[in-house]
Amino acid sequence: MNAMTANLPLASIVTFLPLAGALLLVFYRRESVKAIRTAALAISLLTFACSLLLFFGFDGKAGTPEFVEHAPWLGRGLDYHVGVDGISLFLVLLAAFLTPLALLSSRRAINDRVKEFSFFMLVLETAMIGVFVSLNLFLFYVFWEAMLIPMYFLIGLWGGRRRVYATTKFVLFTMFGSLLMLVGIFVLYAAYHRVTGNFSLTIADLAGTALSPALQTWLFLAFGLAFAIKVPLFPLHTWLPDAHVEAPTAGSVLLAAVLLKMGAYGFLRLGIPLFPQAAASFAPALSILAIVGIVYGGLMALVQKDMKSLVAYSSVSHMGLIMLAVFSLNFEATEGALYQMLNHGLSTGALFLCVGILYERTHTRLIKDYGGAAARMPVFAAIFLVSVLSSAGLPGLNGFVGEILCFFGIFASNKLLAAIGVSTVILSAAYLLWLFRRVMHGPLKDPDGLLRDVDRRELATLVPIVVLIVLMGLFPGTILRKMDASVSRYIESIRTTAPAALSWKVPAPPNEAIPLAGETER
Amino acid sequence: MTTFMALAPLIAVVSGALVVMLSEAFMKRANREPLGYLAAIALLASGFFTVRSWNQDLSYFGGRLLLDRFALLLIAVFIVIGLIVILMSLEYAARQGLNLGELCALVLLAVAGLMIMVSSTDWLVVFLGLELLSVASYALSGLKKTDRASSEAAAKYFLMGSFAGAFFVFGLALVYGTSGSLDFSALLAGGGSGAGLAPAGAVGLGLVLAALGFKIAIAPFHMWAPDVYEGAPTPVTVFLTVGPKAAGLAVLFRLLVPLLRNEPFSAVFVPALTLIAALTMFAGNLAALRQKSVKRMLAYSSIAHSGYLLVAVIAGDGPSLVFYLIVYLFMNAGAFSILAAMSRKGVEYAALDDLAGLGRRYPGLAACLSVFLLSLAGFPPTAGFLAKFYVFSGAVREGHVALAVAAVLASLISVAYYLKVIVVMYMKDEEGAVVIESENPALYLVIFLCLFGTVQLGLWPGNLLTIIRQAFSSVL
Repeated sequence: MNAMTANLPLASIVTFLPLAGALLLVFYRRESVKAIRTAALAISLLTFACSLLLFFGFDGKAGTPEFVEHAPWLGRGLDYHVGVDGISLFLVLLAAFLTPLALLSSRRAINDRVKEFSFFMLVLETAMIGVFVSLNLFLFYVFWEAMLIPMYFLIGLWGGRRRVYATTKFVLFTMFGSLLMLVGIFVLYAAYHRVTGNFSLTIADLAGTALSPALQTWLFLAFGLAFAIKVPLFPLHTWLPDAHVEAPTAGSVLLAAVLLKMGAYGFLRLGIPLFPQAAASFAPALSILAIVGIVYGGLMALVQKDMKSLVAYSSVSHMGLIMLAVFSLNFEATEGALYQMLNHGLSTGALFLCVGILYERTHTRLIKDYGGAAARMPVFAAIFLVSVLSSAGLPGLNGFVGEILCFFGIFASNKLLAAIGVSTVILSAAYLLWLFRRVMHGPLKDPDGLLRDVDRRELATLVPIVVLIVLMGLFPGTILRKMDASVSRYIESIRTTAPAALSWKVPAPPNEAIPLAGETER
Repeated sequence: MTTFMALAPLIAVVSGALVVMLSEAFMKRANREPLGYLAAIALLASGFFTVRSWNQDLSYFGGRLLLDRFALLLIAVFIVIGLIVILMSLEYAARQGLNLGELCALVLLAVAGLMIMVSSTDWLVVFLGLELLSVASYALSGLKKTDRASSEAAAKYFLMGSFAGAFFVFGLALVYGTSGSLDFSALLAGGGSGAGLAPAGAVGLGLVLAALGFKIAIAPFHMWAPDVYEGAPTPVTVFLTVGPKAAGLAVLFRLLVPLLRNEPFSAVFVPALTLIAALTMFAGNLAALRQKSVKRMLAYSSIAHSGYLLVAVIAGDGPSLVFYLIVYLFMNAGAFSILAAMSRKGVEYAALDDLAGLGRRYPGLAACLSVFLLSLAGFPPTAGFLAKFYVFSGAVREGHVALAVAAVLASLISVAYYLKVIVVMYMKDEEGAVVIESENPALYLVIFLCLFGTVQLGLWPGNLLTIIRQAFSSVL
């Protein structure tokens, strides 16, 4: 942390700047659409700039949260307590990076009620970042639930034909899980009070609470259900294709890129560290569900007719891999899962933006309505191809780094699972490249001449992602180095609080990352 | 003189009621608004005396009327309810052809009844308060004399209420006959061993509980509630959904909490009340799911909220109970005042379809209603979430995990129907019939206050929580 950023409550600024901007937007006149759009974009860019300060100020050598702010709020353990560590930092960055792009991408698609749209997008950004920076369970839950409100409106107001059904299903599904998690929080709160006589919901405090095995199991199930729905883990994924297909492009981007990460993040931050023994005993079962999700999602993606639902099912498959890595409970897999979460955010975000660009031109998302578009849209084709290849894990791009780390870790814990899991590479290459071929190559299907190449605004939304995809593929060390200490602390804490936690795996993996090409300086 | 101060809040309200009633007789028909201001002043005066009595533990009539902090806190809540109802009625009464003078006087009397109910530990005094409240509420719910639904509501309420009153007195007689006292504490002193309460006394206690359950509208004594809440004029509905509920729960709390801590009683009462609470939550929420009228939906949801409040009673968690009541007052009154804002001369727009397109034509009102509904559904960061958090976490701390699970599942059901209103307001394309003709500053003030309460109590309830916790550090 350098002197300039040391005194600023950066974590709070990044969290609440979008909300302040949203409240500012309320005072704009409804008709001044242009001013509203500019203001919203400016605020989200400013937030991103602040999050970059977080990134550069982040030291990451201790593995403990930095930029910590702790203040009493409601009393009795319900404190305001925020900060970032190597696990949450990059997810904050991801949210702050994608929100301006999502706002920019919706300039043409959203013309109705722009004020409300921008308002909800900014509120959503605050809620997303808030989930990642919370170090207090109560605060975490407040952001976690509050996130549903803007997303509900984003899908319900600007969504497709079946938007009401999709958005209601989304809210009820996720709320079902999170309400049971809420009861879990109550139990944990009471248990901590009973053991120590104090009130606390600070996550670090709770992680040390001695819980009986039966209680751990119940609590893990309560928390795990909430996270598994959010991920989504097979068979709780049914809300996802509906929500994705009906959501407007900007909503899909944030839903896929950031909201889905919250489930995996929840396991990493809460589910596993708070209940390590229970997590270890459920790890095989959850790994199998993850494997089923990988294969099922991939097969479903192969047969989709709608581009958006293809990307949605590919998310189910990719998130399955991330969950499989998370439940391998070792260093490489966890770091790989984190890296893959960022990759998935970028590549799926880019894919949704690409689908959105096509849809804005032709107003159809059916694959069969397209063909040979590369001829008319050469620049777009190149960008689309990079996104597809990133998602499919081509070496040199970011997806490869994440997948290889995941598989190293998974292989160390269970060879069979790793062998089945590798099918995600084949499947995703198959459905994505096939999608690309059908849409971009072949005979040209464009009777009305609607296909124009991308304009400057659309380039501005896509190029930053593509640049990042390439950079993260070439220089993973920059990011991984900031994660290392936090992840090893996390693994260490599981191992010490629950020595049995890792017993279902054969060898205890070495506690160092495997050096990767291009990062010899580590 | 200092002991006489114990009566001051009550005297302010009752004399206000009498003055309003008398001056109404001498006023011209055209403009009755000054009566509303008069009533508001009476309530404010009462509020002044209430705040002055804080921390003084005043009592009068040999302790029959006891203003401990718990009672004062609730009295303050009742005064706020009264103010909200009167401010809501200023325009509404003229538009719907109600007699504002009658309404204000009756509201003041009902508030007096509520005050009496909570500030005594003597059964007979509680009954006096209850009857004062009941008689005033029967008349209030039938104020729209030309409206059939309103008359039906009054008739139903009167019939059911009289039965409940009779139960209460009969139960009282049995309790008195077996324990020889009309004081809560004496009953407990006799019943502490478990053998002290003879079978007849137990039956009496059961009857009293049933009568209170009727007032609070908990299942299975809730059947009257939807019709009455729907038929009554909207400001009166606000009063009925919050006032009697708050007073009834306070009495129940005072009565039950010592009982629930007693081994032989808790073995009977805890499972029974748990069942009743769960039944109430599910009955209210499931029925609300099927309603076509927003007013009726809110009426059923009010029953469900009685269930949540009962959870706090079972857990013996007084601060959470009062906090929930205050939050519920704001969010519920807010939602109803939006409905009142939409009403026109002789018409109340309360059907779900009437709200269609409200988000486009009246974005401010629609946004406020959304906040109130989201708070009722328990979404953070609104106060509704924090209230539920405190109540349910208190229940879990006392070991009622199953009850907490039932409660959150019931709230999940409620999310479905609260969101349905938002869907209609924002996501339907057809247009509803609502046109808001006149400005209504008093009502907008109410909406603003409720909005402020709903948001502020969710984010910074600091002082209020401190005061509430203080109030309970002395009682029980």
